[in-house]
Amino acid sequence: MTCLTRRQFNYLAGATCIVAFRPQVARGQGKARVVVIGGGVGGATAAKYLAKGSERLDVTLVEPNARYTTCFFSNLYLAGLRSLESLTHGYETVAQRYGVNVVHDSVTAIDPVGKTVALEGGAKLPYDRVVLAPGIAFKFGNIEGYDETATQIMPHAWTAGPQTRLLRQQLESMEDGGLFVLVAPPDPFRCPPGPYERASLIAYYFKQYKPRAKILILDAKDSFFAQDVFEDGWNRHYPGMIEWLPGQFTGGIKAVDVKDRLIKTAGDTFKADVANIIPAQEAGRIAHQTHLVDQSGWCPIDPMTFESKLQPGIHVIGDAAKAGNMAKSAFASNSQAKVCAFAILAALTGSKRFAPHLFNACFTLLASDDAVASATSYRAEPETIKVSDFFLSKVGDNAETRREAVREADGWYAAFTHDIFG
Amino acid sequence: MSAGSTEIIALSMVAALVVSVAERSFAADNDQGAQLAATCAACHRLDGRDRGIPSIVGFSEEQFVTVMRAFKSGERSGPIMRTMARSLSNEDIAILARYFAAQGEETQRR
Repeated sequence: MTCLTRRQFNYLAGATCIVAFRPQVARGQGKARVVVIGGGVGGATAAKYLAKGSERLDVTLVEPNARYTTCFFSNLYLAGLRSLESLTHGYETVAQRYGVNVVHDSVTAIDPVGKTVALEGGAKLPYDRVVLAPGIAFKFGNIEGYDETATQIMPHAWTAGPQTRLLRQQLESMEDGGLFVLVAPPDPFRCPPGPYERASLIAYYFKQYKPRAKILILDAKDSFFAQDVFEDGWNRHYPGMIEWLPGQFTGGIKAVDVKDRLIKTAGDTFKADVANIIPAQEAGRIAHQTHLVDQSGWCPIDPMTFESKLQPGIHVIGDAAKAGNMAKSAFASNSQAKVCAFAILAALTGSKRFAPHLFNACFTLLASDDAVASATSYRAEPETIKVSDFFLSKVGDNAETRREAVREADGWYAAFTHDIFG
Repeated sequence: MSAGSTEIIALSMVAALVVSVAERSFAADNDQGAQLAATCAACHRLDGRDRGIPSIVGFSEEQFVTVMRAFKSGERSGPIMRTMARSLSNEDIAILARYFAAQGEETQRR
């Protein structure tokens, strides 16, 4: 090491006096190795903050794709309000400015005993810590006839990219007067307001180009996040266009017939012109394969560090983590990634640890000039994460407040993606 | 080695220790500032640029504390900032204020 930062110089200069306080400093010369798996919001944030936090860490980010399209704001693309390109980000800055070693490959296995991560390309990466941010996987078995192949006809569009593009193409080709059916998943799932924002913004598109079209939401649940705020928005902006049927009314979504675009509930069959099926979800596959998942389908973690309760040395963040009352959202993943990165820095470099600060904020668009805001602060307890404080926009907010939230949402997207990828 | 030089060495070791402890508490404050500021970075760009959401780098300590306390008490509107301010202790706010004021000076020097 030829160039010492001021902090490192202090460590070394003080080493003889304060070695008892800083046992980590005395350890070997080699850098500690952290392998981050998954380059979504959680993984990319963790890699950046780990690398930024100390020059004494060797940080590798493994992600199969060269670019990442954000799921958040992808409903704006469906509405024709943003391009998909504007929602797509690369890893160049994370690699060049922060020194993260970005490897575009897939993980085939994690060996928690030998402490290695095996890649499809054949490489084996040794690690001191792993940060796993695999996102969600779909439980395809729950709706008969809906499998991986069916997603090419009835897209889920719940991971952004080709699926979102396919749904947009189908909406564009649909005749005016057609029926768009959205199947909303059971809890817990990625982005609680997401399906309802999607219905709102597709209605926004229909209102301009296909005013006779209808939207039917078939929900696995009997209620949903901010329901009164959404229903008020639908009545004001798109009267008569959106119908929502709860699980208790339909008896649940049982099957689909991809060929005829049929959706079957316990008592009815609906024929869609365009169908968007958002299936039930669980932690990404690699989490199951590595035995990080409990019977809930998600990964139990220590709320202070996000280290797995099932496999020491492996931290799980983002949608895959079972993080108490924290929502599964991009903002929450980013917040968890920072808490996790600071905990790993403390463990591997001896930096000081402070109480975790966990937060979630969210902007949801009902129309191009009407956004709803929410914010939640959380309290990490030894066994779970609880809500400390919560805010949500209300029915009857004045129009200027909602317009201002649209401007804030736009600024938030720019700042947030800069925090992750910039 | 004379008794005098032993004293000087001993004194300078004490001095080094004092400096080291002081530096470390400054570093710890700065580390805590950086960790708390990471939360702010999810909405506010910390490179001085802004769009839709104002920059907070370059606020003086006093300005920052005044604004955050106004959000906390509800005197200043902005529900997301109110929720954020309420999640921070007065000590957290003071640490952030020092951190951002220092960041602002650094940005100006560049």
